[in-house]
Formats: sequence, C-alpha cells, structure tokens
Amino acid sequence: MDFTNLASQLNAGIILPEGIVVATLLVVLVGDLIAGRASTRWTPYATMAGLSLAIVALIYQWDTATPLSFLGSFMGDDLSIVFRGIIVLSAIATVPMSIRYIEQSGTSLAEFLVIMMTATLGGMFLSGANDLVTIFVALETLSISSYLLTGYMKRDPRSNEAALKYLLIGAASSAIFLYGMSLLYGLSGGKMKLLEISQSFVAADSDAPIGIIVALVFVIAGIAFKIAAVPFHQWTPDVYEGSPTPVVAFLSVGSKTAGFALAIRLLVAVFPVVSEQWHFVFTALAILSMVLGNVVALAQTSMKRLLAYSSIAQAGFLMIGLVVGTEAGYSSMIFYLLIYLFMNLGGFTCVILFSLRTGTDQISEYSGLYQKDPLLTLCLSICLLSLGGIPPLAGFFGKLYIFWAGWQAGAYGLVLVGLVTSVISIYYYIRVVKMMVVKEPQEMSDAISNYPEVRWDLPGLRPLQVSLILAVVATSLAGILSNPLFTLANNSVSHTPLLQAAIDQQQAPKAVVPPVATIAPAVTSVAQR
Amino acid sequence: MTLAEGVQLVLFGLLAALVIGTALGVVLLSNIVYSAFLLGGVFLSISGLYVLLNAGFVAAAQILIYVGAVNVLILFGIMLVNKSQPFTPVRRGWIRLIATGGVCLGLFALLSTMILGTSWQLSTETPVGDGATVLIGMHFFSDFLLPFELASVLLLMALVGAIILARREFVPDEPPTDAISDALKLPERPRELVPAGREGSESPE
Amino acid sequence: MSQGIDLQGSFVELLTQFGLPAGVAKAMWLPLPMTLILLAATVSIFVTVWLERKISAAAQQRIGPEFAGPLGTLQAAADGIKLLFKEDIVPAKADTILFTLGPALVVIPVFLSLLIIPFGQNLVITDIGVGIFLWIALSSITPIGLLMSGYSSNNKYSLLGGLRAAAQSISYEIPLALAVLAIVLMSNSLSTIDIVEQQSGYGILGWNVWRQPVGFLIFWIAALAECERLPFDLPEAEEELVAGYQTEYTGMKFGLFYVGSYVNLVLSALIFSILYLGGWESPISVDLLSGLFGVSETTPWLQVITAAIGIVMTVVKAYLLVFLAVLLRWTVPRVRIDQLLDLGWKFLLPVALVNLLLTAALKITFPVAFGG
Repeated sequence: MDFTNLASQLNAGIILPEGIVVATLLVVLVGDLIAGRASTRWTPYATMAGLSLAIVALIYQWDTATPLSFLGSFMGDDLSIVFRGIIVLSAIATVPMSIRYIEQSGTSLAEFLVIMMTATLGGMFLSGANDLVTIFVALETLSISSYLLTGYMKRDPRSNEAALKYLLIGAASSAIFLYGMSLLYGLSGGKMKLLEISQSFVAADSDAPIGIIVALVFVIAGIAFKIAAVPFHQWTPDVYEGSPTPVVAFLSVGSKTAGFALAIRLLVAVFPVVSEQWHFVFTALAILSMVLGNVVALAQTSMKRLLAYSSIAQAGFLMIGLVVGTEAGYSSMIFYLLIYLFMNLGGFTCVILFSLRTGTDQISEYSGLYQKDPLLTLCLSICLLSLGGIPPLAGFFGKLYIFWAGWQAGAYGLVLVGLVTSVISIYYYIRVVKMMVVKEPQEMSDAISNYPEVRWDLPGLRPLQVSLILAVVATSLAGILSNPLFTLANNSVSHTPLLQAAIDQQQAPKAVVPPVATIAPAVTSVAQR
Repeated sequence: MTLAEGVQLVLFGLLAALVIGTALGVVLLSNIVYSAFLLGGVFLSISGLYVLLNAGFVAAAQILIYVGAVNVLILFGIMLVNKSQPFTPVRRGWIRLIATGGVCLGLFALLSTMILGTSWQLSTETPVGDGATVLIGMHFFSDFLLPFELASVLLLMALVGAIILARREFVPDEPPTDAISDALKLPERPRELVPAGREGSESPE
Repeated sequence: MSQGIDLQGSFVELLTQFGLPAGVAKAMWLPLPMTLILLAATVSIFVTVWLERKISAAAQQRIGPEFAGPLGTLQAAADGIKLLFKEDIVPAKADTILFTLGPALVVIPVFLSLLIIPFGQNLVITDIGVGIFLWIALSSITPIGLLMSGYSSNNKYSLLGGLRAAAQSISYEIPLALAVLAIVLMSNSLSTIDIVEQQSGYGILGWNVWRQPVGFLIFWIAALAECERLPFDLPEAEEELVAGYQTEYTGMKFGLFYVGSYVNLVLSALIFSILYLGGWESPISVDLLSGLFGVSETTPWLQVITAAIGIVMTVVKAYLLVFLAVLLRWTVPRVRIDQLLDLGWKFLLPVALVNLLLTAALKITFPVAFGG
C-alpha cells in the first residue's frame, strides 16, 4: 500500500478537533520556549482559543457520514462527539481558574497548559477509540498527564504524596486493565477492533465462558479506577485533597467523562455475550458508590475532600444510566454529564477563588462568608445546591431524568437507593451553605475576618470571574431551559448505531439471532456509507 | 523429535524456570537492590522466550527497552537514594503476608482454571521470523497509525513533565508589586526557592 | 554477487563422506565457529594491548615493551598470566555474589555481539535479521553489570564510577542508535551482511562514509564513549575516582574488565568498519579486478582469495580505527562529567536526529544514491 493510497483511506478529517488541540499544544509549548516568562500573558488565551476551535470543529462533524477513520482505529460517531465536547469544555473551563492559581504558586503556566491539553487529547481519543491499542495508548496519555498535573506543585509535600499515590494505584489498575485486554486479544484469536472481538465471541457461541468473564472483571477494574467507583475509589480523596485545585476540577469532570466514554464503548461493543454479568457488576458498583460516597461525605471537614466524595457519589448516579441500558438511560447519563460539567466546575471555581483569597479550604473557615463576599457565597451556594439536586437548578432536572429513566426500565432498587442517598447528600451540601450564610458576624472564622478586599482587577482574576459567572448562569438556567441539551443528549444516542443495536438487543432479550450478528452489519454499513 | 525440537524444549524449560525463579526473587527478597537486579533477569529471560517464539526483533527490543532503559533507571533510582533505613517490623505482619499469599494463590488458581478451560483459537499462520521487522513497520504505518502517532504526543509530554519535575525553580526577577499579593497566599506556595543559574547554589534538596 | 564459499556445507559434506550421519555432522559443526570466534577475540586482545602499548610509547617517545617475545609481542600474555595467578580478593562487607557476577555481566554481552560480525559473504556466525539491532540491545546490558560491580564493592569511588559509567553509556546509546538507524534506513535492512552489500560495487566510493559524514562522526564519538576510552574515560578517571568501579577488583575478575574493555574497543572498530567503511569490501572492488583479468567469479581459487582479502580488509580497517583511538587517547584531554553529558544530550542527540531526518529526506529525493 503506497502513501497516497493510504492517505485516501485514512479519513483523517475525523480527528480534526484533536489535530487542532495538538497544534495549540505545540504553539503554546514552542511559544513559551521562545518568549520566556512574558508568554504567560497570552498562553492561556491561546489555549482557550484553540480548544474553542476544537469545539467548533466537533460541531461541524456532527452526524458525519463516515465516522470510521484510521482504518477502524477511531470512531467519530455522535456519541464520541458529545463526550469529546464535554472533555474539551471542561478543559476550557479549567484554564481560567488556573491562571491566577499557578502564578501564585510560583510554577510555570505554559507547561501546565501543555500537560492539561495532552490530558484532554488523551480523553478525546479515548472517547472514540475503536481498537485495543488505541484505547490503551489514549488511556495512558490521559493517565500519565494526570499524574504529572497532580504532582505539579512539586514543592508541596501533599502534592507529591498525591501524585505518588495516584501513580502507584493508577499503574496497578492500568496493568490489570492491560491484562484484561490481552485476554480479549487471545480469546478472540488475535483481533484488535472492538466489534471483531465481539463477533468472534459470538462465533465461538459458548454461553458466558469463564475466559470472557475474567477479561470482563479485569477490564472493569481498569474502568472503575478511572471513574472512581467504589471500591476502586481509594485514591480519590487523597489525590483530590493534595493536588492543585484546577487539576482536581479537570480530573473530576474531564477524566471521569473519558472513563464513562470508555465504559460505554468497551462494554457495549465487546461484551454483549456477558451482558447480564456486566450489568450486575455495574449495579453493585453504582449502589456502593452512591451509598459510600454520600455517607462518607457527611463526615468531611475539608472542602476538597467533600467534593471528592461528592464526585464519587455523582459517578454512582451516572452509572444508573449506564446500567439501565435503554435509550433514555444513555441519554439521561449524557444529559447529567453535561449538567455536572457546569455545576461541578462552577463549584470548583468558587473553591479556588476562596482559597486564593484566604489560603485555606477547610469547611469551617467558610463560616460567615456572606458578610464579606456575597457574590462568591451566591455562586457557591447555587453550585452546591445544584449538585445536591434542589429544584429549580439544573442538577435537579438531571437527577430527575436519570431516575425517571431508571424507573421506566424497572430498576426500582437502584432508583430508590439513588433517591435516599441524594436526600443524604442534600444535608452536607446545605451544611456548607448554612455555614456561609447564616452565621452572625461574631461567629466569623479567622480566615473570613481577615478576608482581603474583593478585587477583580488583579492579573488572572478577570477570566476567573467571567468563567464563574458563566458556570453559575448555566447551572441556574440549564434546568429550566434544558431543551437544547436534552435534544443533544437524545440525538447523540439515537444517531449512534452501536448504542441503537445494543438497545434493540436489550428490548428483545432472548432473541434467537445472536445479537452481534445484527450490530456488526449495521455498524459496518454505516461506516461504509 | 529432531535435534532442534529437543533443544527448543530444553531451552523452554530452562527459560520458564528462570522467569519464575527470578520473578519470585523480585517479590520475596527483602533487599531491594537484589530485587532490582533480578528484575533485569526476568526481562532477559522473557526476551529469551521471545527468541524461542521466533520473534527476534521483539526480543532485541525487549532487551533494549526493559533491561537497557527501564531496569537501569530503576537501579539508578535505588542507588541514588540508597539510604538504609532499619524498619521496625510491623506487628502481626504475618497476617498481611498470609493474606497476600492467599489472594495471589487464588488469582493463580482462577487464571489457570480459565486458561485450561478455554478453547483458545490458535493462529495457523507460520511465524514470519526475520521478516517481522518489516511487518511491524507496515502495521505502524497502516492500521496502527493513530496509536503510533498518539504515542509520540505521549512521549513528548512525558519528556516535558519529567523535566518539570526534575528542574530547579526560578525565582521571579522582581517581587510582586501589588500590595494585595501577600494576602493571597496559597497553601501550595513554595516555602523557599533556590536561585537558579548561579554558581555555588548547590543547596541540599 | 557470488555466493562465495559455504564453509558449513563443505564441512558437513566432508564428515558425511567419512560415514557420519548428517545430524551428528551438523552437531559437530555447531561449536566450531564459537571456539573460533573466542580464539579470534583473544588474539585480538593480544594485538590490541600490544598496539596500545607500542603506540603510546611512540607517542611519548619511549620504546615500550621489548623483552617479552619479539618486539614485546608477548607482553599481553605475560600480563594475563600475572592476573591469573594473583590472589582473588573480595573486600570486607562486599556483596560476594554481585561482586562476582558484575564482571561477567560486563564481558558476556560484548562477546555475544561478535556473533554478528561478518568477515565475508558467508563468513559470519549467524546472519540474523535483526543483526545490528542485536548489538545495540546487547550493549545496553553492560551498564547493569557496571552498576552491579560498583554497588557491590562497598566503596564510594566504585559506586560513583558505576553510576557514571551507566549514565554515560545510556546517554551515548541514543545518538549511537540514531546514527545506526540512518545507515539502516539506507540499506533497508538490519542485517550486517545487507549493510555491507549495499556499500559494495563501487570500491571505496561506495562506502557509507561519503553518504553519512555526520553520522560517521557521531558514531565514532559515541562509540568511544561507550568503550569508555579517553577522552570519555570518566568512570575510571584515576585522579578523581581511583579506578572507578574497578577499584576493588583484583586477579582475574579485574582481568575480565580488562578483556571486556579491549574486546569492546575491537568490536566497536569492527562494527564501525562494517557500517561506514564497507566491511570486507576492498577499496578497489575484487569483482572489478577479476572481470578485468577475465577470471570467472566462481573459480575456487578466486573465492579463497576473495575470502582471504575480505578477512584481511575487515581486520585492517578495524585496527586502523583502533590506532586512531589510541592516538586520540594521547591527544585529547579528558572532559568533565557535565561536559560529557551536555555533549551527549544537547549536541549529539539533536544532531543525530537531524541527520536521521536528512537521510530520510535524501532517500526519498535521491533513491538511487541513498538506497531507495
């Protein structure tokens, strides 16, 4: 195969958004190398511009006729576009909050942005990866950049500790995941593409053989680590507490989204043979995450740890949508991810702002904040209440949709657990809000009584303010005006042949026709269209 | 059995015993330097297995990457921070050991049942042998092009990250002028910064 | 290109004529090349040591060894015998196992690498497909042995020497490998035979040194550093580190390091002559001469002569390089460790990368001259 022939077959336009991210990354890296310290003035904006351009490119690729590119390595269907969009959005939102933070901690900004863009790139490729090698390389790109980001404040022992913990546990989980993938490769007789693997499983035609189950367990261990599902969550609180807060914001949204994208694609495409088993495992993971995340969050004294446990619990809610496996289930999950993006990043922006001004993130130090900084109080309250699911904020509608989808599909137990635990979660979110609003002036904490004058004209604070306002507005209004997001989520599911086939299979459980035999032609026909 | 087959069988037995023995040594020995050297032994024996499988290029790559780079790096790490610290033995440490052993044995039993109980689809193609190098290159530039290129971004970023973690901090030339900056202290703010680029600033780190 | 002589085939045929079964005959052939190469390596050490002493002496206007054998040629043997009979001391609190294993790990990869050196079309122990890559891989094992002996000696100079040696050898491995890669790119093969064949046909004009002038220099510098020759002999810099990782070694264990370093020098020179100086090809092509005199390529006596010329050519080229290395030793002062690493990472590596890219570009542009 000569070069021109190959180039025509690649369909490389599908990864244009990723190409834009790589180009931005190189521009920032080389620009910083040439311009030196002075480059801090433009690199964040260049990063945001590049990432926004990637979003535009993603929008133009919506409903593309030929989603399969790189000879089947990458699938740019609508599902992957939504997930890639969420990841890029979370990176865009992380940039403004990191400018001031990085500058104050005395580390260099450009490298931070470069590593974060690499993590974004890894997440984006992971969302569309369609063969085992691509999945693993993308996963490692995401993971290794996350480790580096976590340890970015290398003078801070807590950051070092967090990075080391994250690295060790992450490496172990990667190894387990890789072992699972090698089993898949062996069991399918040397296949790499996800659909070919499942086709060979169906062709072997044995009823849930032990080999596939072992591979499934190993793969789930790797995925559950990425989405921080209990009992693979141990790293989360420590890493969230120790690492720089903008990084936590990115990890809690971007990295988690990539994990869910991987979960959907890998489980739905490769494991229809053991569909009952993985649904069962994920039900258990969802219940454990919801219960443990919400209950342990009650006892936290540090805001970052609180948000860490809250993010574990939110992952539990998201998993309901995955387990249900209906059209409404998948789209409710995507819808909730979109809303979670705004409210969680808004919350983290507030936490960063507070720690920039006071240098602490203990919950008790927030008491009486209302007296000194009403805007921050308002924003943080809205985001936390939305995370808790109080109407009419966006989080309420997100949860409502997920629970409705679960109830429709008959997952009553899961929905009940979800309802009870979200009531618990409201308690600890409200506790923080109460702390900020209700306290009398004499009950103010030390940090608040020494609270500096609120100024927005310091370098790096203006973008922070803008992004905070945007996130809060989105959180408040996305619930009421949710129709565009809702349509987006629904379309992304209904336009994805992979999910459609899985849903059909779900609705006709004991079909005589082997399920993949119906998926594969559908997908390949779409691919060749 | 021909001469070649006999040699292969004996070599396989030897290499397998070496892999298992050295790997056990890595895990069980308490001297970390021995573990690191034995790890090199594991990698070498595995590359021997690759040679038996007629995959010369992979074997050489295994030696170059794992023995020549990874293991040397590990040894460097160990020797540069070789502080012999007497550890107080953990109370009831044996419970941990037994639990770990149990888990490992269980996992081993599970995996061996799985391996024995599965009907593996064996490839019937003849190994390409020396042609493998060309074939690997073809794959890199056709169906594995995307991961291959992505790996270059990954390596670039790992390089940048490693340099960031290893280099000295630079002190800003002039202290921040705005008065409010002092109030905006982060918990992560570095306590002391070592001036860089100045001779004789070799402070212990 | 003629196939030359088939030593193995003739040997097996000879034995089967004596009535031995073919399998046994083949099995009897197996150890022969190995012993031969061991012998050759040993002899090469004698020659190299003698050369080193004589050239050093000439450089310093001394006479050098003259009593052991004619012109002092047996001096190396005398040294070897002395080392053999010395007491083998293991320092107190040293790690005996690692202390013993270290020198062996340094020497074995070097000897193994001799497998891939061709002295003629069929005069090579194994023509394996990964050829030159095997050499790079094997030479990357050596640092482990150096670290091992440095660590186990229980001596800070040894440890420092071992760490320096390992750092140096992994730093220079990369430009070395990149320089080799440029050659491989041109010959489309990793096999040493193919690399030499690709340079054949035009006599001295076809050698890679004209096509890879930059790679040639990079390779030579990196190879000197890999062999720990001056100006890169920092691991055993006697003013700073006594003798580096060798400090605590005596007797034959020290002898192994000694043997290893000289074989490594000869090996590097041999590989250098294969990669850049046309291996067994003589400056004026033998084919050309035979064509001129109208002798057929398949004539037996011509084949024998070709093989002999091939061996002589390879060895002469290699020893020319050894001579160059010895001259360099007395010409250039030793660099500092930071200069050494700077040179490796900040200069050689980028230059080698550019060289590789340039080679690839030239290969696409002028496929005739750069092995399309």
